[in-house]
Order: sequence, then structure tokens, then C-alpha cells
Amino acid sequence: MKIDAIRQREQLTGWLLVIPAFLVLLLIYAYPIARSFWLSVFTQNLGTQLKPVFSGFHNYARMAFDGRFWETMMHTAEFSIASVVLELLLGLGIALVLNQSFRGRGVVRTITILPWALPTAVMGVAWAWIFNDRYGVINDLLARLGLIRSEINWLGEPMLAMLAIIAADIWKTTPFISILLLAGLQSIPADLYEAHAIDGANPWQSFRQITLPLLMPQVLIAVLFRFAQAFGIFDLIAVMTGGGPAGSTETVSIYIYATVMRYLDFGYGAALVVVTFLLLVLAVALASFFLSKLRAQASGAE
Amino acid sequence: MGKRQKHSLKQRLLQSLGLFVAILLSIKLLFALPGLTQQPVTLTFLIGASEVPTWKELIKQFEAKNSDIRINLIEGPNATNLLEDLYTSAFLLGGSPYDLVYMDIVWVPKFAAAGWLMELSQLFPKEEQAKFLRGDLEGGRYRGGLYRVPVHTDAGMLYYRKDLLEQAGFKPPDTFAELMQISQALQKQGVVRRGFLWQGRQYEGTSAMFVEILKGYGGFWINPDTLEVGLDRPEAIQAVQFLVNTIRDGVSAPGVVTYQEEETRRIFQSGEAVFLRNWPYVWYLANKEDSPVRGKVGLKPMVHAPGQSSAACQGGWGWGIAKTTKHPEQAWRAVQFFSSSDAQRQFTLMAGGLPTRRELFKDPQLVQKYSFLPTMLEVLDKAVLRPPIAQYDQASDILQRYLTAAFTSQLTPERAMKAAADETRRLLGTKG
Repeated sequence: MKIDAIRQREQLTGWLLVIPAFLVLLLIYAYPIARSFWLSVFTQNLGTQLKPVFSGFHNYARMAFDGRFWETMMHTAEFSIASVVLELLLGLGIALVLNQSFRGRGVVRTITILPWALPTAVMGVAWAWIFNDRYGVINDLLARLGLIRSEINWLGEPMLAMLAIIAADIWKTTPFISILLLAGLQSIPADLYEAHAIDGANPWQSFRQITLPLLMPQVLIAVLFRFAQAFGIFDLIAVMTGGGPAGSTETVSIYIYATVMRYLDFGYGAALVVVTFLLLVLAVALASFFLSKLRAQASGAE
Repeated sequence: MGKRQKHSLKQRLLQSLGLFVAILLSIKLLFALPGLTQQPVTLTFLIGASEVPTWKELIKQFEAKNSDIRINLIEGPNATNLLEDLYTSAFLLGGSPYDLVYMDIVWVPKFAAAGWLMELSQLFPKEEQAKFLRGDLEGGRYRGGLYRVPVHTDAGMLYYRKDLLEQAGFKPPDTFAELMQISQALQKQGVVRRGFLWQGRQYEGTSAMFVEILKGYGGFWINPDTLEVGLDRPEAIQAVQFLVNTIRDGVSAPGVVTYQEEETRRIFQSGEAVFLRNWPYVWYLANKEDSPVRGKVGLKPMVHAPGQSSAACQGGWGWGIAKTTKHPEQAWRAVQFFSSSDAQRQFTLMAGGLPTRRELFKDPQLVQKYSFLPTMLEVLDKAVLRPPIAQYDQASDILQRYLTAAFTSQLTPERAMKAAADETRRLLGTKG
């Protein structure tokens, strides 16, 4: 009876202590999202003198036939999936190397994290010059190696421009993934590998049966983080191509920015935000579902 | 004893009441004081950081002459779109801190349509208006109202290599065909790598460039009065075809579809091309001491089709007054000062940049320093506006997307322009 009362009081204290954090979360996450939902059922643009006029689901109907929106959605998905998958593979490789002990490891680790520490807009300008058809380093290298005879117009072809942007993004954010994975690698006890080796496992088997399953939590976090971030990519593309050529590298966030800040079409912009938000939540939910299933399988296989 | 105590309590109560009233009065006085002592009013505006040093000098002079006005200058980013974002968000949030608005010409219709600007035609007499360049002044109008007083002008034109043309015995070209011929001849001789450089990246600069080519073929983009769209007319398709041909024939580098002003300027300045379409700033840079083409550059209005005339896309900056300002009278005095002949002359002498008053293009002091001013006036007289409609940004984005689709051979010029025209009509709510 007495213990029950104490527990109850503790629970109450617990709730009381949580309330401030909960309120802050509500204020900075829930409120903007709810507000976007609210705005999205109004038409508020230059046509209405910027006054909100209730229009129900008109904005959503308009979106269904807005080719530009679905195109930008596709570009965003292409970009996010390609960059996250490649960054994960590369990042894992780098993390494995950095986890070995060798001379000068501290220096190498510091250098590896550098790209991530640079402001995106600055490195975007640099990459735009690297991919410049006339003065770019890439074309120069390829020409010197005798691989190309005429200059490749990297940022001037829809496909190549997307590749160039993905390459720049990989350069920038792979370090982030490798640092995350490195932390995961370091938390795996060495005796596991020892015992495994005594049982006669070769390094590849150790990697598959110990490293991968135990690294899964970090992989999951890295993928979710990076996917959500890649989905909102803005600065890199704004600097490198401005969404061109022919809108081929325009992402959702660039389109939303244009709709709200330049076209002053707030209701429609809010509807775009809402749909993008829901699609992103769906994508993240699916990704984490499959990854956790994968993880369960991997640990079950042990 | 008890009585005394009671008395003192009453006294104390009275005392504190008196104190309270005194405090109240003095607070009230504090607020009323500025009115009595003529405290100067403060005018606030936002300007790109690179222009700040020059403006500070002008502001100092203005404040010396107007002791009742203080100017609060806020430094903003240099990029035009970022500056626009800052002004836009300030107005959207209501209670904008800005009294004056330093505006790029293409913001005018949108800002005016949003109701953020004060109408100026009552303050700005007709005979005063006539002293300004026509294109710059017209760029300040939206649906009959005047919202901006121009202070710097900007216009697109054709730069050419005087020395190369003379050597080969060519006159500067007047038509698109001549430009192509000269380019190809000089390229064949191996004198230069490229003929003609222009800005083809998907961004506002492409629309500006295209306006010139389009008008040069006798076409139009959007008629602001009737909202008629001319992008799928034969002249417009010819204009796109011309630009596509320059890439196809190697006269322009394939990279032009990724270039903005600076990339084209650098390549031209390094001596790799004969012709360049660009803005006036190139003149200063191309004639700097370390420039390989120093003294070898000429400029003229853009080429055109036979029987048509040249066109220069009108750019430039000017002053508007925020509708929310509490000091419209003082704000107008500041605008008058900053757009005055004297202030503009000083600005040009200090920082380059072209004035907007016609007389200054013949001003001896200015012409002595900038010999190209009289030629510039010829260019500026051909100025063409980008369509002054509220949804200009959207219309421009549509055009840019389909132009770059044609430049990169995703679509033929016909199909690209048909699609662009249809989408623009949908935007404006007009039927084909």
C-alpha cells in the first residue's frame, strides 16, 4: 500500500518533469505542422491580395494536376535514394578503414570529417567550377587521361547534372555517415571477433556475422537521418544548377521555396508542404520498417 | 499615540499617491517630449553590403542637409534574390521596419500588387519624370500607378572584340546572321575558339537575355494590358532557334546552358570569344589593368533581324516608399535627394553603375571618366521591359524551364515554346 503510494507519487513527478519538454516539442514541431494543414485549405496569393480565402481542398486538387510538383518529387526521390545508398556503402568502407589502427589515424580521421564541416553553399560553388565544362578539373583530368576528346557539359545535360549533384553531395556527407558508423564499430567488443576467429571464422564471415548485425542500429540511424536530410536538399542544388537545365534537378524544397517566397502563393505552398511531409513520413516509416526487419533477420541468423 | 499613527498612515498614503502621479506624469512627458523638442525621425532601409560604403557617403551628406532626419542603413546580402526575400518577409510579417525600399526593377509589379508600396505619382511631377530614362521610369509602373523612382540603370547589350573585327576587316554586326557569319569566319581562321557567349542557365538572367533576342525578331512575351501570350508565335520560335543554332554550329560553347553572367564574362575576358551578351558592369572589368582584352572591347545595342530593331533588357534599381511608413514626407525627401542629379553623379564616380537621368550621360565630368556613356545612352534608348505583371516570377520560371529544355535538345523549339505559351496562359487565366 505504502509502496504503491510512493510509486504513484514518483510517476506523477515523472510526468511533471516531462511536461516542459513535451510543451516545447508541441510548440516547435506540432504547431508548424498543424498550421500548414490549416493554411493549406485557404487560397492566399496575389490573386486574393494576400488575404486568406477559404477554398477547401482546392489546393490539393490543383496539386494532383501540377506536373511540376510530381516531377520535382521524382527528382527528390532519385537524388535521396542514390545519394543515401552510395554514401552508406562508401561511409561503411571508410569507417572500417578508420577503425583499424595505423600510424597517423587521428590526422586521417580529422581530414575525413572536413568536407562535412564546410558550408554547403561554399562547396557548392567549388563543385560547380569543378564540373565547369571549360575550366573544370574533372574534364581536364579526363582529357589528360585520354578518356574524352571533347569537353563534357556536366551541368548542362539533365542526366549528368543530377549525377554531378549526387557526386557533390556524396563528397560532402559521406563523412557524416562514416563517423556515425565508426562509433558503432568501436562499441563492438573485440572478444567477439577473437572467439569467432578461434571457432575458425575468416574475416569475411566475421564481418557478415558480427559486424553487420551489431552495426545495424547505427546504419538505421544514419539512413533515417540522411534520408530525411537529402529529401530536403536545397542549398547545394540552388548553388550548382538552380534546378536546371529544364527543371531536371529541381527538388521539392526548391519548388516550395519558389511558390511561397517568390510567387507569394501561401495556401498552395502550404498544401505542397503538407503532401511532402506526409510522403516523407511514409517513406521514413517504410524504410525503418524494412531495416528493422532486416535487423531482426540478421540477429536471428546468428 | 493611536491617533498619530493613523495620521501618519494617511500621510504616507497621500505621499505615495503623489509619487505615483508624479511618475505617471513624467512617463507621459517622456513620450510627449520628442514632439516638443523636434527629435529627428529615423528612416530605415536595407541595401546589399557591396553598395553600403557608397551609400554611407551620400547618407552623410543627406543628414547634414536634413537635421530632422536620421537614416538607419541595414546591410543585407549582395544576392538580389536574398535581398528580395528579406524585404518580402519583412512586409509579410506586417509592421515592416523599412520606410524606404531599394528595389530591383522586376520586384515592382509584385510588391505593388501585394499592396506594400506607396503610390508616388502625386509627389512626382510629370516634368520631373521626363528627365529620367524612359525604360527605367516605365519599370516603376504597375496598372497605371507609379511606385519607384529609378537611381541606377542596367541594360543588356552586345560586347565585341574591336581588334579582331578590324584585323579581319569586319564591321560590327547589326543582324543575327552577320553575327553568325563573323563568328564562324573568325573561328575558322583559328583566331578565337568561340563566337558568341550568352547566359543559358535556368535562372532569371536567361529570361532577361531572351527578351532581347525575342524583341530583335519582332516578338513579344506577354502583353501586360491584354495578357496575350506571344511565346508560340513564329517570331518567338525563330528566336529560340537562333540560340539553339549558335550551340549546334559551335558558335557558342555547349556550356552556355550552364553559364550565368560571370562565367561568360570570364571566358570573354580571357580572349576566347568575339561576342558577348552582358550588362554594363563588364565594361569596367574588361578594361581593368590586368585584363587581357583591355582597350580591345567595343559595345553596341544587341543585334536584330533585318527590318526589326535592337532591344536591351531593362534592369536597374530604384527607390520605393513602404506603405506602412510613418514618415512619408521625410521618406520622399530622402528619395528626392538620392535620385538627384548630384547624388547620382557622385555614385557613378565613386562606384561605377549607370545613372538614370538622361543629362548625366552627357555630363563632361562623367564622360571624361567613363567614355562609353554616350554609347550606353543609345543602348538604353532601346530598353525593353520584362512583362510588368504580378505573377512575373512564375511566368519567368516557366519560360526558363522550357528555354533550357530547348537549349539542351530535350524539346524542339516549336514544342518547347508551345508548352511554355500554354502553361503561361494557364497561369494568367487566358485562353489561347
